[in-house]
Amino acid sequence: MLAEPGHYDYAPYTGRPHIVWPNGARIAVWLAPNIEHYELEPPDNPRKTPWPRPVPDILNYSHRDYGNRTGFWRMADVMAKHGVRGSVSLNVAVCDHYPEIIERCCELGWELFSHGTYNTRYFYDLSEEQQRAVIADSRETIRKYSGQTLDGWLTPAITNDETTQHVLAEEGIKYTLDMVHDDQPMPVKVRNGRLISVPYSLEVNDVPLFQLRNTPVARYTAIVKAQFDQLYAEGAENGTVMCLPLHPFLTGQPQRIAALDAALEHIVAHDGVWLATGREIAAWYIEHYYDAVSKWLAAGTPGGRR
Amino acid sequence: MSGPASSNKGLPNYLDYPWRRRGLDHDRFPHRNLPQAEPVEWPGKARVALWIAVHVGHFPMDMPRTPFVAPGGVDRPYPSYWDYTQRDYGNRVGIYRLMKALDERGLRPTALMSSAVATRYPALAAEVAASGWEVAAAGVDMGKLHHGGLPESEERALVTRAVKDLRGAFRTPVRGWHSPAHSQSMRTLDLVAEAGLDWVADWINDDMPYSVATKSGPLTAMPLAWDLSDQRLLFQQHMDTSEFVEQVLRAFKTLYAEAASKGGRVLTLTLTPWLMGQPHRIRALGALLDRLLEPAGVWPATGSAIVDAWRTK
Repeated sequence: MLAEPGHYDYAPYTGRPHIVWPNGARIAVWLAPNIEHYELEPPDNPRKTPWPRPVPDILNYSHRDYGNRTGFWRMADVMAKHGVRGSVSLNVAVCDHYPEIIERCCELGWELFSHGTYNTRYFYDLSEEQQRAVIADSRETIRKYSGQTLDGWLTPAITNDETTQHVLAEEGIKYTLDMVHDDQPMPVKVRNGRLISVPYSLEVNDVPLFQLRNTPVARYTAIVKAQFDQLYAEGAENGTVMCLPLHPFLTGQPQRIAALDAALEHIVAHDGVWLATGREIAAWYIEHYYDAVSKWLAAGTPGGRR
Repeated sequence: MSGPASSNKGLPNYLDYPWRRRGLDHDRFPHRNLPQAEPVEWPGKARVALWIAVHVGHFPMDMPRTPFVAPGGVDRPYPSYWDYTQRDYGNRVGIYRLMKALDERGLRPTALMSSAVATRYPALAAEVAASGWEVAAAGVDMGKLHHGGLPESEERALVTRAVKDLRGAFRTPVRGWHSPAHSQSMRTLDLVAEAGLDWVADWINDDMPYSVATKSGPLTAMPLAWDLSDQRLLFQQHMDTSEFVEQVLRAFKTLYAEAASKGGRVLTLTLTPWLMGQPHRIRALGALLDRLLEPAGVWPATGSAIVDAWRTK
């Protein structure tokens, strides 16, 4: 076992090259709806059991299914109302199962990136060849249903193995979301090729908030606003990224959807906010900052407190 | 740089996807996108059907801990008087408070009842019948879970016994089914239809009814709230009563607004006597009911009445 991921060296939150987003924006905000399918009868994995109850776990299965039947549509409408696009963390088999969902995403100009094939097919214990096969399947499926290239990656249920980030880079993935170690994109150390991390979030993420931390609905809005307000303030000094991960089966519930509406209303009311997709953030960073930050990292992160 | 290279051989057949196709990975019902479903018109052109579903469960003190403990089930060391008596309070005291609050407002809910409640407490069964509540079968008791490991003959016996005992205790038809803890085996739906029931409330994937295929003809699936139930919020998630009230009102507002353009919707108010029947909560329930009944276009109805209206749309 490794004692650390090994994909980055320590980099303090001070003295970094100054990031400015397009049109002088201080913060890049992106929304990542996780559009998923959890299988009723998934295969066994040695390190993770898909369902808490014996198969068929119809309670938890149908809870997820709510997202595709009902929650997604409500959530997409609210995002469209605020002019905010999504970058879909997509279990690509959703393209085959529910193509109407993909049509709606494309109609709204959303990015599709891969969240594996199903959320019940983990990367734990896959060989590199198998990981490559899943990535190739994702690339082909997304191309076939949307014409888009596959640029981003979040391993299903964040079950990446030790080699996954290396494989991603070798397969031409541009950005990974498997690491939540920073509020700015960062170069990722890989054995071949080039990969960056773009900030995802397990803090302002509706699964931990609603499923694990029992967050009241109004409190969700307050947390998202507080996250934005702080990153917005810091962005004046050095551009930040805020990711709002979403799960239609949770935030798309009728008791919660207005909480998202209120949070987005707050965010879009500010100047200096770049409402971006994951792909756009990665491209801007790679074009303008990848080399400068790599140089700063190679020099031992000089600068320190200002 | 050089990095780790995987030495593992992978997982055989792990990338086979036998159900990867258009629609769901089972054959019980087709996928439906709710906004594209045919609009439903409720009686009186109501916008929201208000379905009050009351969990009237019996939790035996010696209930098994496997294959999992039902939410609200006994999970302290045996003999847990703590768990047993707190649940039993609901059937002795709490439910009478709910009856009063509902009666005062002319509301008739559907009781999702363990058959053991009817056989153990005939006095309660008589009160439920006299109040005009609908009764749906919710298994034998909360310790008798339906799940994938249960042999078919045992599961059939559980369904048959629950339905027979409840039909024996009530003159009004018993038409609906709710499995204890929303748990099913692959064959539960077939057995429920085989027992002559015609609707089921276990899957939590929709805000509206839909049709489910079984070996004995179709059942109607009813949207029984779970994420918005008092058990989920007050007991499992340790939220305050005011948060439960707020979430129900938020859900109502969303569904009521949607109904203006998309057709009738269902709001399910899921209540548990040992929770919402507590003295410190009952007034909040009364106030919530008043808020829900205030707007025009709210149709309070039993599960079977909603099923019938949905079928005739």
